[in-house]
Amino acid sequence: MVLLGKNEQIRLALTCLVARGHLLIEDLPGMGKTLLSHALAKVLGLSYNRIQFTSDVLPADITGTAIFDRASSEFRFMEGPLFAQVVLADEINRATPKSQSALLEAMEERQVTMDGVSRPLPDPFFVIATQNPTTQSGTFPLPESQLDRFLMRIELGYPEPDAERELLRGGDRRVVLDDLQPVADLARLTFIQEAAGAVQVSDPLIEYVQRIVEYSRQSADFAFGLSPRGALALLSAARAWALIHDRSHVVPEDVQAVLPGVVEHRLRAAADFAGHGGGALAQKLLSGVDVVG
Amino acid sequence: MVSSESSHSALHQIPRNSLALLMIAQVVVLMPHALHLSPWIVAVGLFCGFWRTRVYQGQWDYPRNWIKALLVVASAVGVALSGSDVFSLEAATSMLLLAFALKLLEMKNRRDAYVVVFLSYFVIATEFLFDQSMAVAAYEFGAMVVVTAAMVGMNQFHTRVRPVASLRLAAGLVAQALPLTVVLFVFFPRVAPLWTVPLPGGGTTGISEQMTPGDIANLTQSDQLAFRVVFDDEVPAYQELYWRGLVYSDFHNGTWSAQKSRFVASPGEPAAAGDAASYQVLMEPTMRDWLYALDRAVPETPGVRRVADYTLRSRDPVMSVFRYEVSSYPGARLDGRGMTRAMEVQATRYPVDDNPRIQAYADELWQRTGDIDGFVRSLLQQISSGDYHYTLKPPILPSENSIDAFWFDTQRGFCTHYAGALVFMLRSVGAPARMVGGYQGGEINPITGHLVVRQYDAHAWVEVWDEGRGWRRVDPTQAVAPARIESGIEAALSAEDRAELAAMTAARLGDWTLVSSLLNWSESLEHRWNLWVIGFDAGSQRGLLEDLLGDITPVRIGLAMLFFGALSLSVAALALFWRRRPTRRHPVERAFRSFGDAAARHGYEREVHESPMVFVERVGHQARVNPAQLQLLIAQLEALLYNPAVAWGSRELKYLRTQLRRLHFRLAFASTQ
Repeated sequence: MVLLGKNEQIRLALTCLVARGHLLIEDLPGMGKTLLSHALAKVLGLSYNRIQFTSDVLPADITGTAIFDRASSEFRFMEGPLFAQVVLADEINRATPKSQSALLEAMEERQVTMDGVSRPLPDPFFVIATQNPTTQSGTFPLPESQLDRFLMRIELGYPEPDAERELLRGGDRRVVLDDLQPVADLARLTFIQEAAGAVQVSDPLIEYVQRIVEYSRQSADFAFGLSPRGALALLSAARAWALIHDRSHVVPEDVQAVLPGVVEHRLRAAADFAGHGGGALAQKLLSGVDVVG
Repeated sequence: MVSSESSHSALHQIPRNSLALLMIAQVVVLMPHALHLSPWIVAVGLFCGFWRTRVYQGQWDYPRNWIKALLVVASAVGVALSGSDVFSLEAATSMLLLAFALKLLEMKNRRDAYVVVFLSYFVIATEFLFDQSMAVAAYEFGAMVVVTAAMVGMNQFHTRVRPVASLRLAAGLVAQALPLTVVLFVFFPRVAPLWTVPLPGGGTTGISEQMTPGDIANLTQSDQLAFRVVFDDEVPAYQELYWRGLVYSDFHNGTWSAQKSRFVASPGEPAAAGDAASYQVLMEPTMRDWLYALDRAVPETPGVRRVADYTLRSRDPVMSVFRYEVSSYPGARLDGRGMTRAMEVQATRYPVDDNPRIQAYADELWQRTGDIDGFVRSLLQQISSGDYHYTLKPPILPSENSIDAFWFDTQRGFCTHYAGALVFMLRSVGAPARMVGGYQGGEINPITGHLVVRQYDAHAWVEVWDEGRGWRRVDPTQAVAPARIESGIEAALSAEDRAELAAMTAARLGDWTLVSSLLNWSESLEHRWNLWVIGFDAGSQRGLLEDLLGDITPVRIGLAMLFFGALSLSVAALALFWRRRPTRRHPVERAFRSFGDAAARHGYEREVHESPMVFVERVGHQARVNPAQLQLLIAQLEALLYNPAVAWGSRELKYLRTQLRRLHFRLAFASTQ
């Protein structure tokens, strides 16, 4: 146990990984974001890199750059920190939009193109980005189009009192981290990811998902509705969640469990002019849409 | 004015979306009026719209009070000066439209905007005083939608500006109102108006009381509708379709005019001999009182009477589409009784000092032939064998000795030229004769089978008094251009004349088949509209209601309105219900729903976010159902609803229903404890 009392969040992060999506963790500093991502990489036996975003990080700092090799008298591509199976993009909203988009492009394309040569990123490629709440100063909020590329956005939140007491009693969690042993390898992870795609979905469940999406488009509470991509994301996350919970098919509870993580960053309330938030909207979808058609 | 300043709070402001729609609505509503009102009124309307737009952009200010007062006075003066009678419909409408336009300039808050909306509805209604055609009705239906959309827009959130959505909603609202509108149209008693509105005057195209030889040729340029005829049986032969309108008895200075003094009583009823052709005519407004019918017409509609020359007159000028029924007896004979001394004097009068050459010519011919029949026959012979031509563009004739000039020199003319010459010659030898103006022929619409008579079918011919046979029709045009009588004007025209026809006329006459069949189709639509909507007057309403209700009593009408009103509203309600209907339900979901409804009656309400499994588990625990059984049911629900890998059929469904019913009994039992 590295991250105490955060089982739900760990499960969601795993779901995201199984569903081959990227994860955005939004929380205050010191809540264990880095720890979570590092632990995930370690347990799954994946290579891990961390990029600390600041306002002066340049795209080349992330993707890598060509360096002149004196020995062979030619340019050689030095891979940037992006070339790892798990990449922690820390405090992504502190970077300038230019660097943000370099990362997000790579997330979407799963390759880096420089000087006309495309270099594929490793597979699996899983980005965990963290950001501080955008209301803090010195941040560049991610635009909707880029937020959409994250399958989920989760918050870690403060630990429960019991877990916190345990945390205080114990030693440095990073030491514990070093003791973690991988429980899976690459082949196993790929197998799991494929299995998630094979999780079955019945007509009543598809209709439930469709009703959710339709509700977000029709209701006056929402500034705009969920996109078809959002609907697909919801379904694939629900599949992964079902697999993690050892089911061969999706039930409405799976959809409900992943719903806040999947839709909150894709929605905006009609009355929310600042363009942020959406936590209450997921609750509206849950309590407004009937599970049974 | 502190209060007016404070009324600018967001609550009372007109939403932007609605303001735009209001402006559009105003243009849409004003547009058709531009066709019959002075252009300056439209210009004022557009200027006010422009001003209001500038106000919206923050460039200009609302007009001050004294400017508003000035504008109102100027408008009133403008209407008074614009020519029409102060108490005429045009003046009243102009005033209304001006007020409507000026209202824009003080449209500051919602209340004002609502006034504009309601005025718009009223302006839409006024357009029907001028034109009731189907095209206008369709246009005004669209205008209703736009105005309603403006009203919808005023009730939208400021942040959700969706003009298309407002339009769609408005269209739905107006469409829902349609069935009830139809019911009211059919059943609502048509009360005679308490006061009459002076209807729009103004010139119309058509046959007039004065006719110079070129007049009818000019009418052929117009494809305007004259009237439509629906025959009870089959349509008579084309060359028998002589629609008599006016009888011209006086000739003076090259102009024929219809008799002023009318012999009201017809001397001598025609013997109702031979077969009658019965038909109804739907006449377009002419602002005149004469009607058109085939010869020996007996009017069957009250308010239509026949005068001495056997033409028909209506009691009032025809101001809107007028429907009348006629029976015509083409075989009727007068047996010489139909002539009085005064009529004979009138029918033989001619200016003795005019056209000396033709008088001498007629005298000479009369000497040779001796009787009217022979005289007429040899004149027609002369026309058909001589160098006479039928043309739309005859040379211009002098006002004196015009018939001489035509007969001997130019020898080219239209129907009026030939008819005029014939009548003149007959009269100069003492034979009673007269010219008749009206229409000849018409087109049969292939879709509805009714006959359409247009202005280019205008025609003039001759009637000669024959002792023993009465008035007999003689058509000199048949001698010069037989095709005109047998198949219509286009057959009789030279290529040169045809080029002169207006494009629409040419199209109707079938130069392009696709266009003419399209026109036929729209004509048939217009006709049905006239027949069923415009022509649905108190008489037709009574007929329909008698067919429907038997005896017409207020109670029955009230009940019928109530019944059909409720029916029409339920049609709208059903349409709404159908649109909101849940999509075809999964059988297991349906079974679960009925269980859920039953459970709710015992106080076990399901939250919408609770899936069937969660709900069953919760209520099962509450009702203390055996956990193993409960788990079985839950597993079954989950399998049937959410696991596509599980194959199931009616047996499993039935079993599930039984289990759910059992749980329901447990719940009912638990709730009584």
